[in-house]
Amino acid sequence: MLEVKHLRFRYPGQEAAWEFHFSVLPGQCIAIRGASGSGKTTLLNLIAGFLQQESGTIQLSGRPLEQLEPWQRPITSVFQEHNLFEHLDVATNIGLGLHPGLKLTQDQRHLIDEGLLRSGLPGFGSPMPGDLSGGQRQRVALVRAILRRKPLLLLDEPMTGLDPEVKHNMRALLLEEKARGVTLVLASHDEEDRKILADHHWNL
Amino acid sequence: MLANRYSAPLSHPGWQLVPGLLLGLGLLILVAFGLGSMLVTAGSADVASVVNSRYLRGVIWFTVWQALLSVLLTLLVALPVARTLARYRQFPGRSLMLRLMELSLVLPTIVAVSGIIGVYGRQGWVTALLNNWLPGHSWSLYGLNGILLAHVFFNAPLAARIMLQALESVPSPRLRIASQLGLRGWWAWRSVEWPALRPLLPGLCALVFTLCFTSFAIIMTLGGGPAATTLEVAIYQALRFEFDFPQAAVLAVIQLVICGGLWWLVFRQRLEYSLMPNRHFVQGVQLKAWPGQLWFSTLLLAAFALFLVLPILAIASRGLPSLLTFTGHSSPYEQLLSATGRSLLIALPAGLGAVSGALLTLASVSKARGRLLTAIPTSTSYLPLIVPPLVLGTGLFLLLRPGLGNNAQGWTLVSLINGLMALPFVIQVLRGPLARLDTHSRRVADQLGVIGWYRWHRVYWPLMRRPLALALAYGIALSMGDFGVIALFGSPGQPTLPVLLYQQLGSYRMSDAAGTGLWLLLLMVVIFGLLSVIGRPPAHHRYKTVRQPFPEPEHA
Amino acid sequence: MYYRLSLLLLALVTPLTARAADAPVLNVYTHPSFAADWGPGPAVKQAFEAQCGCTLAYTVLDSGGDILQRLRLEGESTNADVVLGLDTATMETARQTGLIGKHDQALDALALPIGWTDKYFVPYDWGYFAFVYDTEQLAEPPTSLEALINAPEDLKIIIQDPRTSTPGLGLLLWMHSVYGDEAPAKWQALSTKILATTQSWSDGYFSLFMNGEAPMILSYSTSPAYHMAVDETDRYQAVEFEEGHYLQVEVAALVAPSDNKLLARDFLDFMLTPDFQRHIPLKNVMYPAIDLGDELPEVFDRLITPDHAFYMPPSEVAGMRRKLVDDWLNALTR
Repeated sequence: MLEVKHLRFRYPGQEAAWEFHFSVLPGQCIAIRGASGSGKTTLLNLIAGFLQQESGTIQLSGRPLEQLEPWQRPITSVFQEHNLFEHLDVATNIGLGLHPGLKLTQDQRHLIDEGLLRSGLPGFGSPMPGDLSGGQRQRVALVRAILRRKPLLLLDEPMTGLDPEVKHNMRALLLEEKARGVTLVLASHDEEDRKILADHHWNL
Repeated sequence: MLANRYSAPLSHPGWQLVPGLLLGLGLLILVAFGLGSMLVTAGSADVASVVNSRYLRGVIWFTVWQALLSVLLTLLVALPVARTLARYRQFPGRSLMLRLMELSLVLPTIVAVSGIIGVYGRQGWVTALLNNWLPGHSWSLYGLNGILLAHVFFNAPLAARIMLQALESVPSPRLRIASQLGLRGWWAWRSVEWPALRPLLPGLCALVFTLCFTSFAIIMTLGGGPAATTLEVAIYQALRFEFDFPQAAVLAVIQLVICGGLWWLVFRQRLEYSLMPNRHFVQGVQLKAWPGQLWFSTLLLAAFALFLVLPILAIASRGLPSLLTFTGHSSPYEQLLSATGRSLLIALPAGLGAVSGALLTLASVSKARGRLLTAIPTSTSYLPLIVPPLVLGTGLFLLLRPGLGNNAQGWTLVSLINGLMALPFVIQVLRGPLARLDTHSRRVADQLGVIGWYRWHRVYWPLMRRPLALALAYGIALSMGDFGVIALFGSPGQPTLPVLLYQQLGSYRMSDAAGTGLWLLLLMVVIFGLLSVIGRPPAHHRYKTVRQPFPEPEHA
Repeated sequence: MYYRLSLLLLALVTPLTARAADAPVLNVYTHPSFAADWGPGPAVKQAFEAQCGCTLAYTVLDSGGDILQRLRLEGESTNADVVLGLDTATMETARQTGLIGKHDQALDALALPIGWTDKYFVPYDWGYFAFVYDTEQLAEPPTSLEALINAPEDLKIIIQDPRTSTPGLGLLLWMHSVYGDEAPAKWQALSTKILATTQSWSDGYFSLFMNGEAPMILSYSTSPAYHMAVDETDRYQAVEFEEGHYLQVEVAALVAPSDNKLLARDFLDFMLTPDFQRHIPLKNVMYPAIDLGDELPEVFDRLITPDHAFYMPPSEVAGMRRKLVDDWLNALTR
């Protein structure tokens, strides 16, 4: 279970701090609702460890995360864009998610090919991200996120602006993850995303 | 599942912070030793006598004045050249032109100056043309003219090269928007180019200022008389001719204060300037041109190319006869080849050392927290430029005196100092590209645990191949052409290339010396050419725009 | 590949740096043109080693000033046994370091235009400062300092800076010797003719003079010997000035803290024998310090022979230099 308790944060110069407080059960998805600038992305960055909270705790299955470095947290994020290293090819981008030094076993290489296949990008290992469309890039990012097999997925507008077919494909993959017991935290403007994926809502 | 905090090799922050810190600290100690020993040798230094001397006040004033003018002119030339080169990425001879731009800085001063004189001197080619077309013109190279011309020749290519690097990494979306809006001229500058150049301009200006501030032989040869005297000349005079150590130390401190103060300002500003996210996309985007721009650009680049090529041609035409002679005493190649071997022996490690040192320094700067801790590695990137080599050498000598027993150690030392002297340039070349990894990518890398050695190997290395190759070429070539350090520490009987050149000069072998100068130039062309080939990304990464299966949505 | 390359390079260099292990080593600090392949250094080394049963090792430093600098830095622990390549401008400072030993030689063989009584320094060559001109550019050069000073402004000369160069300082002393207190005014008159004041002789000779930028350059009276004997051209000649010429003497000395004093004295002795001196005229392009008789190359007969040699003792030079330089600066920057 993910428990975020009284997590407070403010940017330099911001007067009133944000406070986040909610919890999600494993295999469930919570959708964060709020207008632009209400702190959705900030919350996801705090959970991921990219920002440092003022106070409060983040626990996953009872284990505190808030003092850990980003790479120690069992978390994968998918952002609206810029998920990929632009100068590395697709296979490398995914491979780095499996082993940070790219020391991959044969099995892991197969997993990458398979993942690309399942997301409708067969044989897309060698192009550079710059050669792909936005939807293709997001799917690559999602393949990486799924292959990492972390118990918590943070989704920051992952499908905004993509065409319906791609959205459909990605949602299906995410539902599979839920079924596997992965916890999802979703920040999305898209009513349909929320309807299909979320079990709970939390308003900022 | 939870690995320890720094599981990747070399990922502890200390690995990034400490080596660069030690390097900076070592350098500071070196300078302190050098200056300290000078001050100690002869009692107290008379600061008042320096400040009250009309001559020295004039020297300081002139030094600052000519350096300021040089910076201004350098930027004035480099900026349009860089903009044009960034805008037109495909024209025949572009890469040749880039190679050419790398050359002028690394040529031994005496060779380059001889080339400049061959073109613009009283008997120079351009002057001859002027005499024909404009009889009664009053052009004379000697004086401020010559100083500025030479400084622009040396520094504008470097400045343009660094600016070009920044312009080429302008975020593609921004370019696309600008292109779509049809921005040009002032607004293209405001929205696209200025934001890309702004963060590096202060550092670049400070670099050029420092180079011109410490300029020495150029100023004396072309300056026309003792009125054109820089502080470095006065330091040389005090140190090597009058053996007035305290005065030399006081002057060196003045130089440190002026240039160091400038760098401090730059460095402070840099602290406040957060790194902007700049994604590097591969496709070029064409901005709207104003009428006649193509013509203007062609003309500009042609003029700049001519400006760089003519002195090099003059060097070639002077040196070629000697390199083509096989009669007489003996073919020049026997000496040239063995001197080349020795030079490489010194320059290769120096270049590699400079690149590693630069990376360690940059890593350390990015990891350091707090003013003092950041200042130490930051100082590495400019201290070697503003401390007179003699001071640096003296410090090192005093530190290592017992170890100067044999030649191998002596050469290691020369290699080491050459590496140190090349550091500031190498850092300038690497700083921009290293910062190209934006916040997003850093966060992704953090989350994936791509840290420490993994991040360097998997993320930075592919990104940095080209800049690293360029930096290495600068490091090697600067060390290859350097004479000062070897002169200081003495060398065994066998000369390196620049020492050979000076031996030939000292023995009236002027045409041989011209040959050696040309040989050095050719060698540098080879070094830059070879490394630019090595630095090119592997072939399969180069087919950029082959596949576009779906039209790209707006937000990409 | 890099590794193999460096091995190859190492192999190239090692034989050149290897030394005999047992024989005593005489360390000589000198400057580049002496130690160059075509300079006197290699021949002198061969000749001396043939008779001393020792190894002669050169450490090459940029100039006389650097030799002195290095000596000061090393102090009592210096490796040097002999320094070779100081001149009248650096002698006094060198003496004051206390690191130079007396030579205790008779110096009877010396053949200089002046008497030499210095107890510390042994001359090994000499020459006059003189203006060298390009006969193809200048048919009738001025024949005296005075004529040069009063020459029309379109006659351009290249000189060196007395703050950074030995010949530069030489001209300063020359003007002072001829004109005394009037020298600054004469400098002012001369300044309109000065195209460039370079840092070093090499800068001026290579970058300017040989590029044809000016027809006259401050150099040595012996310079034409090289052009005539080696380049086989009479194009460059020195012009003899009526007032006389300033003398330049290059010296060597033994280093006081040396453990090899006997060997060092042998070397100073050897320095004044024909076996050493015969290499001076064409390889160092200066006059030998002893009378070489027939061995003096024939081109030396065609050099100018000034009637009068100006020479100020080093101690006097040391005392006046700063004032003279200041006067010069004042005259030329006003």
